[in-house]
Amino acid sequence: MEHKAVATSAAAHPAAMKRLAIEREVISAMQKPGLLYWALVGLFATGFAVFLLGAWGIQIAKGIGLGGQLNPVGWGIYIVNFVFWVGIAHSGTLISAVLFLFRSKFRASFNRAAEAMTVIAVMCAGMYPLIHLGRVWYAFWLFPYPNQRLLWTNFKSPLEWDVFAISTYLTISVVFFYVGLIPDFAIVKRYTRGVSRHIYSVLSLGWVGSKRQWRNYNMLYALLAGLATPLVLSVHSVVSWDFAMGIVPGWHTTIFAPYFVAGAIFSGCAMVLTLCIPMRKIQRLENVMPIEHFEKLAKTMLFTSMIVGYAYTIEFLLAYYSGNVYEFGIFKDRATGYYKFQYWGMVFCNMIVPLPLFIKKLRRNLKWLFVTSIFVNIGMWLERFVIIITSLAHEYVPYAWGTYQPRGVEISIMIGTFCFFFMMFLLFAKFLPVVAITEKKEEVQ
Amino acid sequence: MERHVYASEHDFVHKLEELVKSGVKPEDIETRTPHPVHHAEEILRMKPSNVRLFALVGGITGVATGYLFPSLTALDWTLFVGNKPLVGIPPYTVIAFELMVLFGGLSGFLGLLVTSRMPGIRTIISNDEFGDMFEIYVKRD
Repeated sequence: MEHKAVATSAAAHPAAMKRLAIEREVISAMQKPGLLYWALVGLFATGFAVFLLGAWGIQIAKGIGLGGQLNPVGWGIYIVNFVFWVGIAHSGTLISAVLFLFRSKFRASFNRAAEAMTVIAVMCAGMYPLIHLGRVWYAFWLFPYPNQRLLWTNFKSPLEWDVFAISTYLTISVVFFYVGLIPDFAIVKRYTRGVSRHIYSVLSLGWVGSKRQWRNYNMLYALLAGLATPLVLSVHSVVSWDFAMGIVPGWHTTIFAPYFVAGAIFSGCAMVLTLCIPMRKIQRLENVMPIEHFEKLAKTMLFTSMIVGYAYTIEFLLAYYSGNVYEFGIFKDRATGYYKFQYWGMVFCNMIVPLPLFIKKLRRNLKWLFVTSIFVNIGMWLERFVIIITSLAHEYVPYAWGTYQPRGVEISIMIGTFCFFFMMFLLFAKFLPVVAITEKKEEVQ
Repeated sequence: MERHVYASEHDFVHKLEELVKSGVKPEDIETRTPHPVHHAEEILRMKPSNVRLFALVGGITGVATGYLFPSLTALDWTLFVGNKPLVGIPPYTVIAFELMVLFGGLSGFLGLLVTSRMPGIRTIISNDEFGDMFEIYVKRD
C-alpha cells in the first residue's frame, strides 16, 4: 500500500497533523504482509483444513459415534466449544455497543478488533451445532419452513430460541461491523491504487462525509448500539437457558443467565487482550492503542472475574440451601469427584489468576496481562466443561452415572476451530483497518 | 459554488456560524468533514435523521412476526405437548425480541442507504474522495 502525499497549506495545522498521523499509523499496519506473516496464515489455514474439515469429513463418513458422546453425557466438548465461542463473541459487542452508550473513550482503541473477533467467534460457534448434529445435511430442519408434513418447529424450545438468537447475533454483528467500517473504507481508498482501490471504493458505498451522511450514520450507529446492548444480554441468556430450562441438577437455576453473561464478557475481554497485545506490537500501533486503554480493559476483566467468582461461590450456597440432595450432590461431585482437576483449574484460572490485577503496575504490564488473558481463556473453557459435562455425568440415579472423555475427532475439530479463528483474525488485521480511524480522529482537538 | 477549507474543527464551526448569521440559508450549505461535528449540525438546524423511522417500523414488524408466526404455526396443526398452552406468550417473547433486533437493525441499515442515497454510484466511480479537511460549500444564486 502506498502513501499518497496529502500536502496542502492548510494541512500544516497541528490538529490536521495529528489526524494525518493517526490515519498513517493505522493504514501502515495494512502494508503488504511479510513472508513470515503469510507463512503463519498458511499454517493456520492448513490446520483448519486438516484438523477441522478433515476430521469433520471423517465424522460425517463414519458417523457421530466417532466422538465420545454417549449416555449419560450426550453433550460433549462440541457444546462446550459452542458456548465458549459464543462467550468470546460477547465482548466485541460489549466494547462496541455498551461502551459506546456509556461514551467510554477507551473503546476506540479496541472496538474494531473486538467487533472482528465477534464476527469470527460467532462463525466458530455456529459451526458446532452443525458438527454436533451428526447428519448435518438435515440442518435446515432447525429453521421454520413450510413442508409437506405441515409440521413447524417448536418455538417453545430453548434450542429453537438459540437458532434465532445466534443467527440474529451473527447478522447484527456483521451489520454493526460493516457500518463502522464504511467511513474507514473511504479513507483506505485514498491510500490504494488499482484493483484494491476499486474494491475499497465499492465497499465504502461512495462515502464522502457530507452533513447528511454523518447525520444518518450517527443515528444508525446509536440505534444499532441500542439494539445490540440488550441483544448481548439476551443471546447469552438464551444460551444459558439451553441448560437452565432442563431439569438437570446443576443446570436448573435462575442464576444461570446473569452468570453466563458475566462469564461471556469476562472471557471476551481476555480474548481481546490475547489478540490485541501481539497485534499492537507486530503492527506498531503503540500510539493509537495507548497502555491506559489496556489498563481499563484489564479493570473490566477483573470486575467480571469477581462476578464470576461470586457466582461460583453462591452456586454452592444455593445448592445447599435448596435442600435438594441431587442439586447439592452434583456440586460436591464437581469439587471432589472425577472432574475435580477441571473444577479447581477453573477456580484457579478465573478467580485467583486475575486477582493481582488489583495492582496498577501489573495492569499496565502487557506481558503480565497477556499471560493472565491466556489463563482466563483456559479457565473459561474449563468452566463450560465443568457445567456441561459434570452435570450430565452425575444426574439423579447413581446407576445412570457415567463419565466422558473427549475423543480424537472432537479434539481435532476443536484445534481446527482455533486455527480458523486465528487465520481469519490475521487476514482481518491485514485487509481492514484494525482501529476505527474516524473515531480516533474525533478525539483530536 | 463557494468553497472554504479548514484544517481545524474550531475554524470550521466558526465559519459556519458566521455564514448562517450573515443570512445564508442552512440548506444552501453543504459540508464535508473527516468526522461528525455535532455542533455544526445544530448550527445548520438539521432535523433528526429518518433512519430511526426505518428502525422503528422494522422493530415493530419484528415483534409482530415474533408473536404471530409461532402462534399461527402452533394453531396450524394443534399438537399438545406436556399439557402446555398451545400458544405460549412467554416463550414467544424470546423470538419476538430477537426478531425485533434483527428486523430493526436490518431496516435501519436500509434506512441509512436510502436516506443518504448510498451506494453513490457517481462517487464510487469518480475520484471524489473522503478527505481529511473540514470543507464548506455554499450555494449562491
